[in-house]
Amino acid sequence: MIEIEQLRYVRLGTRNLPAAIDFAQRILGLQLIEKSDEQAAFRSDFRNHTLVYELGDPSRQSIGLEVRSEATLERAVAALAEIGIATTAADASALARRKARAMASFRDRSGNTFELLVRPETSGWRYFPARDAGMTGLAAVALRTTSNGADETLWTTLFNGRVSDWVGDAAFIRFDEAHHRLALHPSDRAGVLAVEYAVEGINQIMQAMYFLQSAQVKILHGPGRRPTSDQIFLTFAGPDDMLFSYVAEGTRIADEGTHRPRQFARKHLSFCAWGSESSVPEFAASEDRNRGSRP
Amino acid sequence: MIDLQRVCYVRLGTRDIEGATRFATDVLGLEINEVVKGAVYFKSDQREHTLCYVEGDPADQAVAFEMGSRAALTAAASELERLGYAVHAGTPGEADARKVREFIAFNDPSGNRIELVWRPAYGGTRYHGVRDAGITGFSHVGLCTTDAARDEAFWTQVCNARVSDRVGNAPLLRINEVHHSIAMFPARHPGIQHINHQVESADDVMRSYRFLSERQISIVFGPGRHPTSSAKFLYFEGPDGMVFEYSSGVKMIADELLYRERQFTFEPRGLCEWGSKPDIPEFRS
Repeated sequence: MIEIEQLRYVRLGTRNLPAAIDFAQRILGLQLIEKSDEQAAFRSDFRNHTLVYELGDPSRQSIGLEVRSEATLERAVAALAEIGIATTAADASALARRKARAMASFRDRSGNTFELLVRPETSGWRYFPARDAGMTGLAAVALRTTSNGADETLWTTLFNGRVSDWVGDAAFIRFDEAHHRLALHPSDRAGVLAVEYAVEGINQIMQAMYFLQSAQVKILHGPGRRPTSDQIFLTFAGPDDMLFSYVAEGTRIADEGTHRPRQFARKHLSFCAWGSESSVPEFAASEDRNRGSRP
Repeated sequence: MIDLQRVCYVRLGTRDIEGATRFATDVLGLEINEVVKGAVYFKSDQREHTLCYVEGDPADQAVAFEMGSRAALTAAASELERLGYAVHAGTPGEADARKVREFIAFNDPSGNRIELVWRPAYGGTRYHGVRDAGITGFSHVGLCTTDAARDEAFWTQVCNARVSDRVGNAPLLRINEVHHSIAMFPARHPGIQHINHQVESADDVMRSYRFLSERQISIVFGPGRHPTSSAKFLYFEGPDGMVFEYSSGVKMIADELLYRERQFTFEPRGLCEWGSKPDIPEFRS
């Protein structure tokens, strides 16, 4: 069992770095901490960075996950090799860009890239953004999966992931007390579906709704409440068709002994208890056309 | 001093009582308690009724406040007469129609019809709406004022109301621990400006936002949150142009000595801290 300590960052490719930087700072509310011609890194909390935009193909994406030590990393590499998943060790320049001591990356069965990190940097200087979005930090990443359950099994058997709930076959996987850090949504392709940042509360979610409307940012789901995690959420469009969400509140799963994962029906009310609908197919758009009267 | 205990009910005239009833039940989520010739009574909490639609002129509107005792009601009548208000003593028939033991009626300085009632009827059965709107009860009214300073003086000096906050010149007035039971809105005419029902949670406000949007009910303000009372709100339009509000989480003022009213701006940011902008004449700055 390989322990995942923390979700650390999301790296996203973009063809238009200035536009991505503008979005991350002005709209999303992150703090730009480092910028070169090739990449820009953003802070949202105690972590040195939680989002990186890299100049290049938007399909080049990776998720950074922390493991405790180099020994754990070696065990992970061996365990992955055993089930036929190859890993790539990072060179010095890749490590420098990621601000970590050691790293091995791999692709899951769908083709999503993960980077296992040892000792990624924490910032001694607190997050201080230009816009007051009430950001409290990177909360979760929603991924598309084509593996028909194999990716879920990878996280729950090789790693310490636990399924908190399912909506249809979409699995919400936790590594700590948060309801989920990874969400795997069955899809016809791989890739990051949404990057989710936690904000302080309902005020920030609703203020964001009016802010995003006035900034003409397309809201694709919500404001709503997830019956699974009990989080309030607002999902909107970022550069390169990437979705971003603000989330707040939500249940924590403190007692591993008593929590049972629940199965929710694959329909839009399982994604939003307030009744918001989404055109995003992974959020059950058009799945429940024949539904009866609404509550 | 006229000691108002709590806001009791609203009576509204309408030319289309069937349409108003459909709205009050299917949309607003109230429960019909009684239908009589020319009037329908609606329940929103433990009380026998908190809203009554009466066949007639939509300009005929009244809001009632409960008095603590018959002596207080009698004293209120004399005090109002002494001050020159035309006081109507309710007949037994009129009292029955209001489900109260006794009442008096008068017009406030702006011309709003006010009824002071004694022993309004409570019901044995609890409220159960036709739809799950999460309503916990009728909570306050917005009243139009043609002179905010004059009317504030009436409600706070002749009556026992206290100013909880002011938005521009308009005071939000409390008569018990609830942040406000009367919200005054400057206007050129008298009238009930809105009728508020409290709902259980912000979830109910947001569920109703979707519910009303899907039914093409005109949403005139919100979803939002008042910086004054801290309530999360949604305003929408009902029959005869009446505005209804759902809100949740209104502030309670327990310590009269420590609380001090605050001044907010009569601009959208003084009315909503989430950023929604009102589409209501009395809310426009």
